[in-house]
Amino acid sequence: MSAGLLATSPGGDVLVAAIVVPVIGILLLWLVRPRAVEWVALAALLANLGVAVAVLRTVSSSAAPVAYLIGGWQPPLGLALRADGIAAVFMAMAATVLVPVAIYARGAFGAPGERRPMVFWTMLLAITAALNLIFCGQDLFNLYVALELLTFAAVPLVSLDGSRETLKAALRYLVFALAGSVLYLLGVAIIYGAYGTLDLIGLASIRGPDGALLLAIGVMTAGLAAKTALFPLHLWLPPAHAGAPPAASAVLSALVVKGSFFIALRLWFDLLPPERAVAGSTLLGVFGAAAVIIGSAMALRQARLKLLVAYSTVAQLGYLFLVFPLGLGSGAAPFESTAWTAGALQLMAHAFAKAAMFMAAGLVYEAIGHDRIAEFRGLGRIAPLTVLTMTLASISLMGLPPSGGFSAKWLMLTAAFGEGAWWWVLVIAAGGLLAAGYVFRILVPAFTPPEEPIARVKPVVVRREAAALALAVIAILIGFLPLAPWPLLAIGRIAAGAP
Amino acid sequence: MPDAALSPFAPLLLALASLFPLALLALTLAAPGFRPRLATLLWLAPLPGLMAAVFAQGAIVSLPTPLALGLMLDRPGALLLGSAALIWCAAGIAAPAWWGEKLRSLPYQAWWLATLAGSMTVFIAADVVTFYLAFSLVSLAGYGLVTRDGTVAALKAGRVYFALAVTGEAFLLSGFVLLALGAGGETRIAAIVAALPSAPRMAPALVLVLLGLAAKLGLVPLHLWMPPSYGAAPYPAAAVLSGAAVKAGVIGLVRFLPYATPTETLGIALAAAGFFSAFFGVAIGLTQRHPKHVLAYSSISQMGVIAAVAGLSLAAGRAAGPTEIAFYGLHHVFAKGGLFLALAALSMTGNRGRAALLWPAAIVALGIAGLPLTGGALAKLAIKDALGSGWAKTLGSLSAVASTVLMLHFLTLATVMRSRDASAVAPVALRAAWWGTALASLALPWLLFPSVGGSLAATVAPQALYELGWPILAGGALFALLRLWRNRPSLPPGDILAIIRTGEPWLARLSNGVAAIEGFLTDWTVAGAVLLLLALALAGAML
Amino acid sequence: MSLAPLDAATLYGLMGAILVGLGLYGVVLLGGFLRRLLAFNLLGGGVFILFGVVARRGAGAGFGGDPVPQALVITGIVVAFCATALAITLIERLTEEDGDDPSGGGS
Repeated sequence: MSAGLLATSPGGDVLVAAIVVPVIGILLLWLVRPRAVEWVALAALLANLGVAVAVLRTVSSSAAPVAYLIGGWQPPLGLALRADGIAAVFMAMAATVLVPVAIYARGAFGAPGERRPMVFWTMLLAITAALNLIFCGQDLFNLYVALELLTFAAVPLVSLDGSRETLKAALRYLVFALAGSVLYLLGVAIIYGAYGTLDLIGLASIRGPDGALLLAIGVMTAGLAAKTALFPLHLWLPPAHAGAPPAASAVLSALVVKGSFFIALRLWFDLLPPERAVAGSTLLGVFGAAAVIIGSAMALRQARLKLLVAYSTVAQLGYLFLVFPLGLGSGAAPFESTAWTAGALQLMAHAFAKAAMFMAAGLVYEAIGHDRIAEFRGLGRIAPLTVLTMTLASISLMGLPPSGGFSAKWLMLTAAFGEGAWWWVLVIAAGGLLAAGYVFRILVPAFTPPEEPIARVKPVVVRREAAALALAVIAILIGFLPLAPWPLLAIGRIAAGAP
Repeated sequence: MPDAALSPFAPLLLALASLFPLALLALTLAAPGFRPRLATLLWLAPLPGLMAAVFAQGAIVSLPTPLALGLMLDRPGALLLGSAALIWCAAGIAAPAWWGEKLRSLPYQAWWLATLAGSMTVFIAADVVTFYLAFSLVSLAGYGLVTRDGTVAALKAGRVYFALAVTGEAFLLSGFVLLALGAGGETRIAAIVAALPSAPRMAPALVLVLLGLAAKLGLVPLHLWMPPSYGAAPYPAAAVLSGAAVKAGVIGLVRFLPYATPTETLGIALAAAGFFSAFFGVAIGLTQRHPKHVLAYSSISQMGVIAAVAGLSLAAGRAAGPTEIAFYGLHHVFAKGGLFLALAALSMTGNRGRAALLWPAAIVALGIAGLPLTGGALAKLAIKDALGSGWAKTLGSLSAVASTVLMLHFLTLATVMRSRDASAVAPVALRAAWWGTALASLALPWLLFPSVGGSLAATVAPQALYELGWPILAGGALFALLRLWRNRPSLPPGDILAIIRTGEPWLARLSNGVAAIEGFLTDWTVAGAVLLLLALALAGAML
Repeated sequence: MSLAPLDAATLYGLMGAILVGLGLYGVVLLGGFLRRLLAFNLLGGGVFILFGVVARRGAGAGFGGDPVPQALVITGIVVAFCATALAITLIERLTEEDGDDPSGGGS
């Protein structure tokens, strides 16, 4: 197991900060005066952003992963934290999404000191810690704990307003997610039984194409797919994401579902012997394709903006699962990394665009008192910045240049063509058409001048509009990165097929 | 061809061609107080494009490396850029006269400027991403121009327009990805086309690109959007859509086909599709009752001719193809855009001053069919070599006959267009915009013909006059015969669109079916069972 | 054919498998969140027993069992307890809202 030997790398302490900073934030939240709660949370998230940027800088400047051994104990007995390229990028992405969300959410949940703001800020910081742990966790059981922490922090956000519908949505989410996590845990037991270690690097160095490993990964992936709401395991997502308050929906849709996806990515790309991945990854791709088509078709049918956006999440998550067949299916060397970059870009572009979209939907609701799409005429006149946000986010969602969504689509098409897999091209193209359709349904009435001025229920707070707009602008800016595999994302990847 | 004496300001001019309309767009979005003034200044927006076309040929703009976006201008691009800028300018002068106060409101200005920005940029894009961006912008923002009147018919037409625009873009994007892949990830158009002959999947890539362009050009059967959209669009909008926006498809034919390498099969297929559209457009156009729809079908026909010329040039490997296509496109910009402006002027004119509007319309309309000594005659002469001397030449002449018939049909419909107010006179700006465009359509081809390698002496040679003249005479005779047929059929604009629309209930049923599937799958027990099955299937698939 | 005497690990393994099966049956097919939650706890219990089996099989160096899975099980029980508490709270709130539907709502 000498290949698995790790040491705390220079600057590795910062990984501890990534987990400790949000937790300290949570503790402080309950100590300070109610008025200061929001500021403490914002400070913690800003500190978290600083930490994430530091990790990213260390990884990119040293072109090597950052690692930290907790208590100096070597895996398999001890736990290691390790941020490779993709972990560092995703940590930075999550931290960047969270700050505007916090700016947006300030004052959105009633008076300071009430139950709802306390729950929201506590859970938001808990999600931050859980995500950081997922991104740099190396131990399968450690990842399980992080995953559960993520779910437990996410569920209360769904039912924040305490209505019957949202309570039911939260329960549906929780119980289905629990079924998923038990499957994951079952896989962990099988792997430990077969190998006696749960450390990813250690496992990668000793695993072969054993039945136990394949069975475990199959069961774990199904559990993770349930938590990621891969079609048709998405029954909980539309009611949960559409029912939660907008700031919460933004985090749930942009980040929380990506946590479980990220672990699946680790299992398939870092652990699974590539030669055994073809059939399984095709199966995941087929489900992803169904998600793209049916999720978009369902989005086209929705009468309410938040449900439309939630179904768009179902569809956009489908694209993520196309990474498995494209990145593993043929193993054709240059396109493996193209698909990998496409998946990462899709994940990031969707995170920014969807967070912006949910926040804009919340602003629309505030401005006109409802979110019925058919009655959006004249929206552009009373909430121009919000409509601009929706437009920019939509550009990324439907994959028009320049935007992160376009780059992701371009690279995904490149990988699909490069591997000669035309059927995925059809799925991506059809998904783009349907996305254009549902975006069109929102934007056209919003741009159409009203026959009679529509009533503004409440003035929109510019700070909150600006926060949503900032996220949408980032989704666009990602599109200016070069259309090529990203070396940063390959740093420290456990070499696929290493002996 | 890079000009040795290229001004150092040329790249700046090129950048302004695309950025100036965008800057105005930002201004109108941000400063409501500016809107009333901008309403009368819309004609300024395309001027940088026009100046770039005149002074900046050969210029290149490339952004620093991480941003793989760039602009460049060659001769075919300059021909199309300049003519498109002029029709945008003319329509910008006509628009305040047509729309009046309405033009002061944001949606009018915003859609206009966004479409304009895309329309200018598409001619100067140096890489596929910029090209796709501009192509999407001119297509999607055009939706706002089509539906500007807000009527039920306009919104219906807008939906068809949008659906086909997005479909075309999906084809185009897939094609571009495949092209870039063939060139080793390169996105610059010049590099892509240079690598094309040796690229492994050249044929499918070009077919995808051509399908995307065909949707923009209105090649049958992707023409469905054109007649209803031009019918629904207000005249100034129809002028820029038919004159300038459609040329995004023409520049695509110029840019992406490897004319240096003879590509027989693809070229002949494209030519066949083009000729089919050329005759189909005329045949259906003759069944139309509104001059706008007739003009739309004429566009379908003329774009078919351009596609045919592109196909023939590709098949024969004629390097001159792009310039000839662009020259033919240049004439069509003025002729078609101008005729829409003429219709606008006629519809605002009562009994007085109609002749001054109609006579130029007659000359310009027959110019489309190649009336000798007009600009259209030069356009026809420019594509003469591409048509060669065999069957293609015959088809070309026959299409001129057909165009004559269609244009005479248009003129008979145009003569009855008038304002209800017998004493009304169209605003002078509107009339001036029409006359200016008519003049451009007649004169500019004469000025530019030598620069595209044509000989002015040959255009007045008896042989040329005969070859151009007999189709006009034959067309006239045919039209006279056609007039005898009293109960000519009348088809709805968009012809087979009416049949496709009968499928709409099926679409609703499909959507309901998806909802039923979704309802079934989101049942707890079903989803739980699927979860277990997925676990077993994944494990089973790998074992 | 003679029945080989079951060793403890196999016996516990079978027990765990039965619990997992019962739990899955309940989570998928039973109505009402409360029943599903109880089924989840059975399911979790089954998986924990499997960890115990793994610990016994991996015993070495004079120990009665591998200590690592035991640590994992303890953590897992805490996590499952938290999940149950959270779900119970939600079910209770939902019952308060519903008033008349003690089963904890439909699906």
